Amino acid sequence: MIEFQQLTRTYGDFTAVQPLSLTVQRGEVFGFLGPNGAGKTTTIRMMMGILVPSGGRALISGLDCHTQRAEVQRHVGYLPDNPIYYDFLRGREILQFVAEMHGMERAEAARQALRMLGEFGLEDVVDEFAVNYSMGMKKKLGLACALIHDPDVLILDEPINGLDPRAARDVQERLKLAAASGKTIFMSTHLLDMAERVCTRVGIIHHGGLVATGTLAELRQRVEHSASLEQVFLSVTEEGAVQASGP
Amino acid sequence: MSRTGAAPLLSSTALLVRLRLRRLGNQLMAGTRPRKKAGDKTRTGNPGKKSSKVILYLGGLMMLFGFGTIAASAISNLHHALDAPDTFWVTVEFSTALTVGVAFLVLFLWTSSLLLTIASGELAKPDWDLEWLITLPIRSETLLWARILERSVVNPSGAMTLIPVCTLIAWFSGYRWTAPIVGVLAAWPLLLLAALVRTLLDTGLRLTLQPGQLRNLHAIISVLSIVAMYLAISMGLAGKSDFMLGIAATMPDWLAYTPMGLTVRAINERGLADAALLSLTLFAEVGVIVWLGVALLRYQLRHGVIAGSARESARDSRITAGGVQASAGTSRVGRLLSAVQNRELMLLSRDRSFLVQSLVIPLLIVGGQVLLGTSGVATSMWKDPNVLASVAFGLAAYSLSMSAFQTLNTEGHALWLLYTFPSSIEDVLKDKAKLWGIITLAYPTIMFAVGAVVAPALDWKFLGAVLTAFLGIPIYAFIAVALGIFGSNPLEQQQNHKVKPQYVYLYMTLAGLYVYAIVTPFPAQRLIFMVLSLLLAFALWQKARDQLPYLLDPDASPPARVSTSDGLIATMLFFVAQGIAAAVIIGRGHVTGAKLLIAFSIGGAISYSLMRYVYAQAKTEGVPPILSGGSSRPALGIAGGFAAAAFGLTYLYVIGSLGLLDDVSNDSQSYESLGLWVIPLAVIAAPVFEEFIFRGLIFGGLRRSFGVWPATLASAAVFAILHSALAIAPVFVMGVCAALVYERTRSLLAPMIVHAVYNACVVGMPTLFV
Repeated sequence: MIEFQQLTRTYGDFTAVQPLSLTVQRGEVFGFLGPNGAGKTTTIRMMMGILVPSGGRALISGLDCHTQRAEVQRHVGYLPDNPIYYDFLRGREILQFVAEMHGMERAEAARQALRMLGEFGLEDVVDEFAVNYSMGMKKKLGLACALIHDPDVLILDEPINGLDPRAARDVQERLKLAAASGKTIFMSTHLLDMAERVCTRVGIIHHGGLVATGTLAELRQRVEHSASLEQVFLSVTEEGAVQASGP
Repeated sequence: MSRTGAAPLLSSTALLVRLRLRRLGNQLMAGTRPRKKAGDKTRTGNPGKKSSKVILYLGGLMMLFGFGTIAASAISNLHHALDAPDTFWVTVEFSTALTVGVAFLVLFLWTSSLLLTIASGELAKPDWDLEWLITLPIRSETLLWARILERSVVNPSGAMTLIPVCTLIAWFSGYRWTAPIVGVLAAWPLLLLAALVRTLLDTGLRLTLQPGQLRNLHAIISVLSIVAMYLAISMGLAGKSDFMLGIAATMPDWLAYTPMGLTVRAINERGLADAALLSLTLFAEVGVIVWLGVALLRYQLRHGVIAGSARESARDSRITAGGVQASAGTSRVGRLLSAVQNRELMLLSRDRSFLVQSLVIPLLIVGGQVLLGTSGVATSMWKDPNVLASVAFGLAAYSLSMSAFQTLNTEGHALWLLYTFPSSIEDVLKDKAKLWGIITLAYPTIMFAVGAVVAPALDWKFLGAVLTAFLGIPIYAFIAVALGIFGSNPLEQQQNHKVKPQYVYLYMTLAGLYVYAIVTPFPAQRLIFMVLSLLLAFALWQKARDQLPYLLDPDASPPARVSTSDGLIATMLFFVAQGIAAAVIIGRGHVTGAKLLIAFSIGGAISYSLMRYVYAQAKTEGVPPILSGGSSRPALGIAGGFAAAAFGLTYLYVIGSLGLLDDVSNDSQSYESLGLWVIPLAVIAAPVFEEFIFRGLIFGGLRRSFGVWPATLASAAVFAILHSALAIAPVFVMGVCAALVYERTRSLLAPMIVHAVYNACVVGMPTLFV
């Protein structure tokens, strides 16, 4: 379960995330939508303990993401928007390192790494340095890193942005599979068709504030009957049409 | 892609030069402007680094001066080596032999500056702008010419090396205040050649060589650049120049017809017509070389400028076999290492420039200093174990500045990965500090092994020096990692901006202080330095640890908390303020008890109120309260004080009855000179100010990271070693009592009472009654 309690972040005078309160229940696939620069990545980085909240807090499984970061990471898998890896390490070695850091024995970590790479269709490049990977391969490797310790919660920042259609479909399938196995997924995106296909509930963030949350059906109701998610998105993110809704 | 009527050479060169200078300017000015504002979320931003600029400018001026001095003495050395004795040569025509010799000097400086420039970049990485520039409507030949011209103008390190030597040649040729102008003009054709060679290497060669080969080449060049620089410098050093002067003497005469020789001759020639002719020849020669070079470049670029991937494919390279073994963890060493340490070693074994930078370059630089230094370290090193241990420690400390200090930078843009692991980042850093502390022990181990063979005697002195160096290296590994947290910019793209120089200098200064611990003949001082270094390592580590949740945060910083380092700063402040106050008050007059009391109180009050003021300003957490807590405070304080005093008086009695008191009675003279003033000093001033620093800040700061006993013992140890030798043991016990009482009551009043009661019994009573 993910919970934001008045989560806030400012950069100097600029408020990137306004006090944000939201609860994502276990097993939900929550789509965090918003235009570029709306505060999606800032929010996700606060959940990962990479950024420190200016106010309020984010909780995952009841643990504070800032003060109990290390404990939180046992339950969380994370994919950043642009995963960058260590130079001079192969995909297999990076994955093995990640598994070892999650407490696996070295030999077991090596086995798991190979298995995951196989599952993600990266067998051909296991011995290639990860910096040479294409964007799609990097994202798949990132997803493998996020899943290798079988976490309850997945936090994904733009998981299919920049992927070719086939890779995007692969990743979406993987996410559906993870959701079906009971994982909670929190994912930011501005690709609305992807959100429509995968998410059980979405929230739309605009200028750092949450302007709409609900299931797709609920959101459609708000604008007009049978509106597409795109119409909802454009309507609530229209300049000047900021009307905050409750969590 | 290229079409006629595109931007011509001059205007595109001017454009490129402006762009490059603008970029250089932006880099220098970055951070001096006000913070970026709304809407501009600087995700990779780092706070400004104003102070590093000062060091940069200062460094530039010092380099100019340094190369000028070296060039002057090198030319003079060449004259004495190559010319017949008794010839007066300043402001007259150089002999042929001298011309050739000076041309050799110029050639060597040119080469070493060129190698340094190449070594400071990364050969395997594509140049930041070429792939973009090639898409502009400029003919590719024009673009290449423009690039070379631009690099001949914007080449700080080349200019810094070549302009001084050309200026000095002009000076020795009789130019006076115009010499710098002649120097700048004469250096330009040489800088043009350097720009050509550099472009051939990093633009052309990058397309033909594999990334792996390029990295090897880069590693070789960075080693060669240091060797070349030292050899060039050695020509200007008295007593060290024989080797290079010998080579200069064997140089063939045709060196005078190369661009370097022609430059020397053109400057030296005073006849206007002849000088013009020589200059024309020089320009024609350089022009032909650059023209040929551009033709070669065009041939290299015949398939376009798009290079392959940044790294060689791992599968078909030689490192695969070793890599698989290491990563599978089958090796015996691998199993002992943590995942982080294993990864670090893997990176070290594959990234040859990291390997060379962290382990080979320090050897070359310290070796160069030892060989070229005038103090005869190279010979005395094997006779005096203190010198040997100092060099060994210096070498390891230098290596740590290139490795442990760079901990965050080796994580680089992959730093986010550390935040996804269920372990604290502090543990990762500890793993790395331990690893580097062990790796760098290799230098002293080897040097001591050799030293043990050739040493005149393997005695306690040898053992003490060895031990001090060995213990210092792990301590400084932790200090390097901690300072590296503040001194690194892991998200910076450019290699030379990844480190904030002021923190490297701070680290080097601290490491230099430890050398004192090695060379001091007094074991007690050695111990004091070790304890202080250890405490410093703890204090810096604590500060760095506060920083860890904010490493990837572009503008938030940790809330202010009382730290051990505050205690160290307050102690320094206390000593300095007290010293200044004493100097002012006593002046030329007599030292009296009242004056000492006033100086002590002023020092204490300044450090106390300044710390309080800073804490209030920064809204610091954990500032020690003086009055708070339950009612048992005074009673506990009095009890603790009497316990400590009982130990102290017994100790003094035992020492006295053994007749040892006379040996150290010099120490207590300061007390005697105080007279009755010792009582307010010992019972009021000392307890108030010292307890605030040692219990409030140092013990309180340590307590934030450690249990009761380690914090108690460490704070008492620091407190004790700042007292005279006689007082160390009883003061240590007093410090333990005060810390325990403070831990219990959480208010400073109680330890102040401990201190006052102890001082009244041990210092005050003897003054009154003896």
